[in-house]
Amino acid sequence: MLALEVQNLKKVYPNFTLGGISFSVDEGQIAGLIGRNGAGKSTTLRSIMRLISSEGTVKVFGKDFARDEETVKAAIGYVGGGFRSYPNKSLSAVANAVAAFYPHWDGEIFKRCCEEYSLVLSKKVRELSEGMKIKFSLALALSHGAKLLLLDEPTSGLDPLSREDFCDTILSLKGRGVSVLFSTHITSDLMRVADQIIYLSDGTILADEPLETLMKRYRLKLFASLSDANAAHTIGVKRVKDGFEGLVTSSEGREATLDEIMIHLEWSRRQNESAY
Amino acid sequence: MKALIKKEFSLCLHPTAFIFLAFAALVFVPNYPYEVIFFFSGLSVFFLSLAARENGDLAFTCSLPVKKRDVALARVIVAVMFQCTLLLLTALCIVLKQRFFPQTVLINLAGNSANLAFCGFGALVLGAFNLVFFPLHFSEPNKVGVPFVISSSVQFALIALLILIRHIPFAAPIASPDPENLGVKLAVLFTGLILYCIMTVLAAWVSMKKFEKVDL
Repeated sequence: MLALEVQNLKKVYPNFTLGGISFSVDEGQIAGLIGRNGAGKSTTLRSIMRLISSEGTVKVFGKDFARDEETVKAAIGYVGGGFRSYPNKSLSAVANAVAAFYPHWDGEIFKRCCEEYSLVLSKKVRELSEGMKIKFSLALALSHGAKLLLLDEPTSGLDPLSREDFCDTILSLKGRGVSVLFSTHITSDLMRVADQIIYLSDGTILADEPLETLMKRYRLKLFASLSDANAAHTIGVKRVKDGFEGLVTSSEGREATLDEIMIHLEWSRRQNESAY
Repeated sequence: MKALIKKEFSLCLHPTAFIFLAFAALVFVPNYPYEVIFFFSGLSVFFLSLAARENGDLAFTCSLPVKKRDVALARVIVAVMFQCTLLLLTALCIVLKQRFFPQTVLINLAGNSANLAFCGFGALVLGAFNLVFFPLHFSEPNKVGVPFVISSSVQFALIALLILIRHIPFAAPIASPDPENLGVKLAVLFTGLILYCIMTVLAAWVSMKKFEKVDL
């Protein structure tokens, strides 16, 4: 079953357009929404949550978001890049207010999460580090039994150890059958946890496939000249120190990293755009 | 809706909202423009909306299992709760004043006298505030000050108009202490209350429509 199904999601700003993107996330899968700053990752997640008005349809576990807004939101845990609301309120005050919205809120799970994440409920939100804010958001989401987590750049601003903790937490959620869509531009986090990659560039999807397939599809090859690279139908040819480099779909060349795949696909998109 | 209202009280409400309710007691001050009491009610709505903005409340609340438009409705309902409480407290203070104060101080030389008709005027001033403030605020929730200045200006213009009425000879009956000219005053009271309801319902409806389209 699909945990999330997005069809023709479109949002037009004066200087940016999210161009009618479609993708889906299977139940129990961890999908990474990746792209450079300004690629449209936050716009996508905020459009899914209807925080911004946009065109297109969103279905969560088969239910239409616009039609069953309350039911669908009850199944989602949304973390908009750390917990930035109510800085002067205590964690317990926020949790009490949030609990009232969820009929299936489990105080025991919340308590357990707080213990696991070392969250002190008497602390105020502003007293938490960025990493702890993420953990507080996750504790809230898990306590109402969210089946789908939408996380907007949860690892931005976290130190490597906190990012590692976050990845461990996400992997443990997968074990509990929770589906996750999280945006990031830190590819090492994706390599660690993601099953699926959705690569967004300038409001369009350049790649949407399982991580393993994506990594196997492309290899990186170095050419002595541009004409050699073009003759080999290389994708996203770029000048490098020793010649020209690009992605090839043959078995030649070396294994490409996710960063390199991203860079060359982006470069290819720009070349195609400038050609038109 | 109950959870939304509870959240407004526990996470957004500024304590001054309760202090402004005590301003109903201003009707005990002799010769004072009592309509100003209802301006302070607008201030409590302003502080509520300001605190909500500074706390990043709207985006967070909209991610909870609620309809986006209900978030705007909850704010209006909380404002209505405070406004109705203020009207009731004002009415209570008026009853006490008329019962225990000498007849000579019941006529207000600075504006309308504190009586039943005055409560109708108060409802009108509160309704006018709602009609202007909420649609302006919910069409651009990051703006709180500008909608407040505009809605307060409308309130003060209306208050000036209502004080002018005091000096029109044929309107003299509404300045008298209760229970004199009770029929006219009841008519003013109910007209004010009906207009308050109409303006507030309209304000909530427009705010909900506008808030649906807002990008948070």
